[in-house]
Amino acid sequence: MKRTVTVIDYGMGNIWSVKSALEYLGCAVIITDDNAVIKDSKYLVLPGVGSFRKAMVSLCNSKLDKAILDATLKNKSKILGICLGMQLMGTKSSEDGETDGLGLIPKTVEKFKESNQKIYKIPHIGFNSVKSGTNSILFKDLADQSDFYFVHSYRMLSDGNGIEATAVNGEVFLAAYEKENIFATQFHPEKSQTNGLALLKNFLC
Amino acid sequence: MLKKRLIFILLYCDGYFMLSRNFRLQRVGDLNWLISNYDFSHISFFIDELIILDVSRNEKQTKQFIDTLKTISYKCFVPIASGGGVHSISNAKILLRSGADKVIINSSLFAKSDFLVNLSKEFGNQSIIASVDVKKSSEHGYQVVKKSGSEIVNASLTEIFNNLMQSPIGELYLNSIDNDGTGDGYDFNLISLLPKNFHKPLIIAGGADNSNRLFEGFKNPSVDAVATAHLFNFIGDGLKSARNKLIESGVPLPIWDLDAIDCYKDIVNTYD
Repeated sequence: MKRTVTVIDYGMGNIWSVKSALEYLGCAVIITDDNAVIKDSKYLVLPGVGSFRKAMVSLCNSKLDKAILDATLKNKSKILGICLGMQLMGTKSSEDGETDGLGLIPKTVEKFKESNQKIYKIPHIGFNSVKSGTNSILFKDLADQSDFYFVHSYRMLSDGNGIEATAVNGEVFLAAYEKENIFATQFHPEKSQTNGLALLKNFLC
Repeated sequence: MLKKRLIFILLYCDGYFMLSRNFRLQRVGDLNWLISNYDFSHISFFIDELIILDVSRNEKQTKQFIDTLKTISYKCFVPIASGGGVHSISNAKILLRSGADKVIINSSLFAKSDFLVNLSKEFGNQSIIASVDVKKSSEHGYQVVKKSGSEIVNASLTEIFNNLMQSPIGELYLNSIDNDGTGDGYDFNLISLLPKNFHKPLIIAGGADNSNRLFEGFKNPSVDAVATAHLFNFIGDGLKSARNKLIESGVPLPIWDLDAIDCYKDIVNTYD
């Protein structure tokens, strides 16, 4: 069996692109909302495009939240949250009212500061250079300040917890996070050309 | 630092890719033609984003269009925005599940409903590109049009820009019908009419048929992304040489290892 990666389908991800990138790298991809499959998966990807509140409601209604926590906390499966997927792994978000997240990353999600919008527009859209953290697994062999594709209005901030990569859009914000088996990127590696493929490879190898 | 973006646009109409001049469409070739002239699994490394629009004048978002979107986006590791006839949440959802990262809304921007609000609650503002087509009129100056340019929107350009500032959209995609397909360059006068406090990312289109025109677009400080839909002028390595020229001219475009793509194919060869 090829290395199998389970992409969690809660109805809101750009799943086609994630599947495409993982298959290009040589993985077998399962797209599922089946809790039992998720619990038993060694490699999980939590993608996401959309609003935090809708996504959390969707995860909770289908008990996917519990399956993800079981897989990552009990079974120590590796998980990569992408964009909204990363934010959902936080403790809570202020998007569309305050909503609790999965709590896998001990940080909160808030909107970009609007103080300097003339230069730094919101949403933050496009390729931006990322400063990787020391001893990062995700950024192994990637040049520092490599470019990755972002599309978001909300962000986490760096606070020294975990291995943190950062980028700048009017303020320094968290571009990627990793701690033990928990990995997350605010940018879309599946849409970040060869830089993104390199990062996904690092997550999987 | 946030980089500028070079965007290539594909116009799809009833099974064919089109060249557009002042919104009059000329058939160029089907998906097979596109794949043999633009291999997006490699060419996409010379653009920062791809826009795929269904400009079919009759029925839009057919199964054939969705399949085309899936085919092009598969193994194309660049952001994709898609649209054409998106009037409902389910229209948008189909695109977002078929390879699109963002949806483009045109005619429905002007519907008196809470469509945009609902769309943003579902997918977030950042997934929504407002596409505004503008045409010059001797009497009224600039007029905004909808439905592939066939209907005038009953509001001034200023009103529309002001409304968009309050709307839950992520980006503005501003297209000049008069310059579309002409090679005359972008309409910078039109861009100058944007309110000074319009702080959404701006994509400009209409009038660029070569790298010099693209470069002119990048020189405008309000512009975040320049787009071209000139299907003939960038065939083969056209996008590659345009990108290289732009980078040599100092345009801050993102950088990645262009030659590395093949070394990632099937690299995850560990087995469970």
